[in-house]
Amino acid sequence: MCLRCGIDAMKQKQFETEHQALWSEIDAILLNASSQKEELPAYYRRLCQCLALAKQRGYSPTLTDYLQKQVYECHKRIYGEAIERPQVLRNWLLRDLPCRVREEWRLLLFVIFSFWGVALITGLLVWWKPYWAFSFLPHGELAEMRSMYQPGNVHIGRGGDSGDLAMFGFYIWNNVSICFRTFASGMFGGFLAMVSVMFNGMNLGVVAAWLSLEPATRGTFWPFVVTHSSFEITGLMLSGLAGMRLGLSLINPGRLSRRHALHAASKRMFPVIVGAALLTVLAAFFEGFWSASTSIPASVKYAVASVCWLSVISYFGLVGRARD
Amino acid sequence: MLDGRLSLTTPEGVRLLLTPAGPAPRAWAWAIDFLIWLVFIVCCGFLLLRNESKLGQAIYAVVLFISYWGYPIICEVYFGGRTLGKRALGLEVLRADGLPVGWRESMLRNLMLVADFLPALYLAGLLSMLYDSQFRRLGDIVAGTQVVYREKPKPRIDMAKTEPMPLPFALTPEQQRVLIDLFERESQLPPGRLIELGALATNLTGLTDEASLERLCAYAAGLTQ
Repeated sequence: MCLRCGIDAMKQKQFETEHQALWSEIDAILLNASSQKEELPAYYRRLCQCLALAKQRGYSPTLTDYLQKQVYECHKRIYGEAIERPQVLRNWLLRDLPCRVREEWRLLLFVIFSFWGVALITGLLVWWKPYWAFSFLPHGELAEMRSMYQPGNVHIGRGGDSGDLAMFGFYIWNNVSICFRTFASGMFGGFLAMVSVMFNGMNLGVVAAWLSLEPATRGTFWPFVVTHSSFEITGLMLSGLAGMRLGLSLINPGRLSRRHALHAASKRMFPVIVGAALLTVLAAFFEGFWSASTSIPASVKYAVASVCWLSVISYFGLVGRARD
Repeated sequence: MLDGRLSLTTPEGVRLLLTPAGPAPRAWAWAIDFLIWLVFIVCCGFLLLRNESKLGQAIYAVVLFISYWGYPIICEVYFGGRTLGKRALGLEVLRADGLPVGWRESMLRNLMLVADFLPALYLAGLLSMLYDSQFRRLGDIVAGTQVVYREKPKPRIDMAKTEPMPLPFALTPEQQRVLIDLFERESQLPPGRLIELGALATNLTGLTDEASLERLCAYAAGLTQ
């Protein structure tokens, strides 16, 4: 019943005084200044009704704008509330992450080959003809590597326990950032993510072969690197995997539009990239505080390393299979 | 969608209009954020790296990591989708459905800044924004988010000088809005043009020229009360 006549303004006044209490109460709830929070949905329904009435009766824009804004704020408050999921992290770790990685087993195989294949090829090349190392890495860096891993030098360069701490901080900043960059650059068809994975594989292959040429550095390099590499390399490969999946969804979106395919792929790969970051942080702990320690004998390091590698492989191979 | 605004309909049947923000204000917001981060990190470096202690270096690297990757994410998740730069420019980040962003959306869109940066100086992001109808950069497309203007409360018109009057007959909301908009722009219009516009409303006011304008002002005052 809407009579459009000159006394509409009077009616608006009446309407405003009638509902002012409701609007101020909602304002108070939105400012977290009210104790009646659980009443918001009921108030919100009445507010929507107010807005509909105000619009239909042609009340002044100032009023409808005010109501519209309040409706939007309520909408955000009510529907933006995340559903409480107390087990989300547990589910992620025990189901989503390993299952998603297993689902992408073809891509994972490709990433594994592109990392270890490149590492093996460059490593063998350097082992066979050491001068090839200079084609991959600058001369200064190789010389620095060699002096860094001289048996007497390992603890001097690091400066005791607090030095380990500094290295730990550096590993977090550097390695996790590399993980994130690898993932994001995969967006362009996955090519850059693949290059990043291969580049790191090449680095490992060349440095490992170069330092294995001399018995002295061989004895310090392998015990140092073998433990934390289980987490670090897996983290890098997972971020490469996630990035390449993103890129592939752009190349081959299937039955979705490219935009939706990208969105869906990023949603699926989110646990993987977070898992990659967590693994890299874990690797930084090991690299900073375990691998660098000179007081632990090499045999113990090898034993721990095999446990780490086995646990990483069995985690991604076995966990969550029952709920697949 | 003629005016470029994004229209969403809530389950209650209310239509929400969002205004996507273009590259220029977002670049300014980014620049402000970057400056703040730079000043913060230089100050931290000055404090922590001063005496070359290893502990200082460790804390510095962790602070660098958290501030570099975490600052926009934490701001967007806990402070209404707005970093300090976006706050200054009046922008906010929302999900495509108009709701606040969560951890996943915020993390994805901020990690994707790296892809937007390529090949240099956010060129990919700029091209994506220019190509997309809602000015979304690659990170926004991947995460399903968008950056919109936060509606500011309009400045109230100063109607103190006129006595409010009711309208002689009802106007539609659009007509009322035109009337109010006229007096919102009062200070930007030359007086001659104002009188000219006021004279157009003779049918409504029953008066001419300046008297008509004054009467219109009284009506507008009545509407905005």
